[in-house]
Amino acid sequence: MGRYIIRRLIQAIPVLLGATLFIFAIVFALPGDPVAALAGEKRQDPAIVAIIRDQYHLNDPLLLQYWHYISGLLFEGDLGKTFAGVPVSQLLAGKLQVTLNLALVALVMEAVIGVLLGLWAALRRGRATDTGILASTLLLISVPTLVTGFVLQLWLGVWLKQVTGTEIFPIAGATQGLKSYLLPGFVLAGTSIAYLTRLTRTSLVETLRSDYIRTATAKGLSRRRVIGRHGLRNALIPLVTYLGADLGALMGGAVITETIFNLPGIGNQLYQGVYLREQPIVVGIVTILVLVYILANLIVDMLYAVLDPRIRYE
Amino acid sequence: MRKTSPDVLPAEGGLGNEPLLALEDLHVEFGTRAGIVRAVNGVSYTLDSGETLAVLGESGSGKSVTAQAIMGILDMPPARIPKGEIRFRGTDLLKLSEEARTQVRGQRIAMIFQDALSALNPVFTVGWQISEMFRVHRGMSKRDGMAKAVELMDKVRIPAARQRLNDYPHQFSGGMRQRIMIAMAIALDPEVLIADEPTTALDVTVQAQIMELLAELQRESNMGMILITHDLGVVADVADKIAVMYGGRIVENALVHDIYKAPAHPYTKGLLESIPRVDLKGQELYAIKGLPPNLLDMPPGCAFHPRCPYRQDNCVTDVPPLYEISGTRNSACHYWREVLDGDNR
Repeated sequence: MGRYIIRRLIQAIPVLLGATLFIFAIVFALPGDPVAALAGEKRQDPAIVAIIRDQYHLNDPLLLQYWHYISGLLFEGDLGKTFAGVPVSQLLAGKLQVTLNLALVALVMEAVIGVLLGLWAALRRGRATDTGILASTLLLISVPTLVTGFVLQLWLGVWLKQVTGTEIFPIAGATQGLKSYLLPGFVLAGTSIAYLTRLTRTSLVETLRSDYIRTATAKGLSRRRVIGRHGLRNALIPLVTYLGADLGALMGGAVITETIFNLPGIGNQLYQGVYLREQPIVVGIVTILVLVYILANLIVDMLYAVLDPRIRYE
Repeated sequence: MRKTSPDVLPAEGGLGNEPLLALEDLHVEFGTRAGIVRAVNGVSYTLDSGETLAVLGESGSGKSVTAQAIMGILDMPPARIPKGEIRFRGTDLLKLSEEARTQVRGQRIAMIFQDALSALNPVFTVGWQISEMFRVHRGMSKRDGMAKAVELMDKVRIPAARQRLNDYPHQFSGGMRQRIMIAMAIALDPEVLIADEPTTALDVTVQAQIMELLAELQRESNMGMILITHDLGVVADVADKIAVMYGGRIVENALVHDIYKAPAHPYTKGLLESIPRVDLKGQELYAIKGLPPNLLDMPPGCAFHPRCPYRQDNCVTDVPPLYEISGTRNSACHYWREVLDGDNR
């Protein structure tokens, strides 16, 4: 197992280099001049412009610029500085936490609600409950996050507060601890909940048709034990893969949700970074996202071996 | 399926001279989109303690469905039991509540399945799966259950049982896996053991070992055994009596030596003749012509008539009853005398 982990981590290096170079090139190719954008409408002193361009290696060719960046990152752990001179690591520190919180709240909601709904549907297969759950997941999948976000913000955030007189779901900011993340977390998790519900249902229905489920019944076990122990344990395996891969997707999807709920996370920052052509910010955030993806996938693969003894990595 | 009659669990010792297990005119059907599939059409047989009944028949003859009906592990719906009784020590299992049924299942009537690899749960160790019987049904601790599991694995002769306790099913060979399946089934000393094609997935030498093991376990515990198979070769050594099924009905039942001496139903005769024989090496292997009946659309009269060399006009119109040939023998063929006389067609 140890060897496998090391091999996987080594494999992560080319992925990380490729992803950062790709993003670097895209931001490089964006039209407009980041230094000119610094001063807005005002005229700039050509001498100062020249100093800034030199300082940030903006006159170098793409690959050389990339080398300056990546060598700083690899050898000094330096994510670079914004054009305003603020270190990117310092800029992102608190924001990464906000996004991570949001993604984790969404992931937990997804896992709990998705698995429970899927389980319920599977056990009532072909009946009204099942059809109802499937229909509502379809609805959840087809409505964009922008719509669910604003609608829930209005209903649960504004109207519910007017009706009850207390603020149950804060509609903006991350100042009230877990409470602030509930509504945005649900909005972010929305489509994922729907997909996981369907995946759980299919997986469990499939599992309950297996021979070993028949054996468990023939052993004289209660239906609860047959489904809860023998069925669920096997049905969970594909769900773990989906959940793991989804953590990365949730962090990426946070851009829209953070904007709707005005959460000071890296999604918001990424949007501004792209807008201002702040290469170090954009590449820094993408690097972090790629790292999260790689780690999440590694953890999924480890969990897989724990959940399914037939899989061994050596 | 909820039944309202009082739940009286079958008495331990049995009542009077009731057989251990008696099937009476059992019908099982499946509701499908294409129509009603009548898988079992009035099957009756009895089994006593210490006795082995071989149920013989090709795929789709209803032999496994009958066994699953006895175990109560059919999916209902789509399956239905519109008619019939399954009396276990005098108590009709079909009239018991689901809870009472669960008490019988696994503890008093146990079952071994065909493919042990898919029939064992892949994510639990074999020790865990065997000891589950003791933990759930006998309230034992994990440690005591595991000790029992080792005993059972020794009993079914799995080498180095203690070391293999924490292995998973996929780490065993096919024969060893079937032994684990057997250990799990006999864990609580059941009175009836149903073995559904226990050796089909195994190679020939291992088949013999497994059959020997089953016969030995049965002698020790005096349980009644139902051996479901399509392999006549397996049957001869271990069975006391044979029930041959075709199209959801029993077409012949007899003591094992009678049937090998002279079959009384054309289908049984065909089965016996299709066994490869060393003295006929080089000759073409006999096969029963035609296909098994379509259970959605059974032929009228005798279900075997389209394939039968003894067919007469009334076979197409009249369903043959189970004619009594002797006290221990029946045949569902209008012309059993001709078949029995060895009148070759």
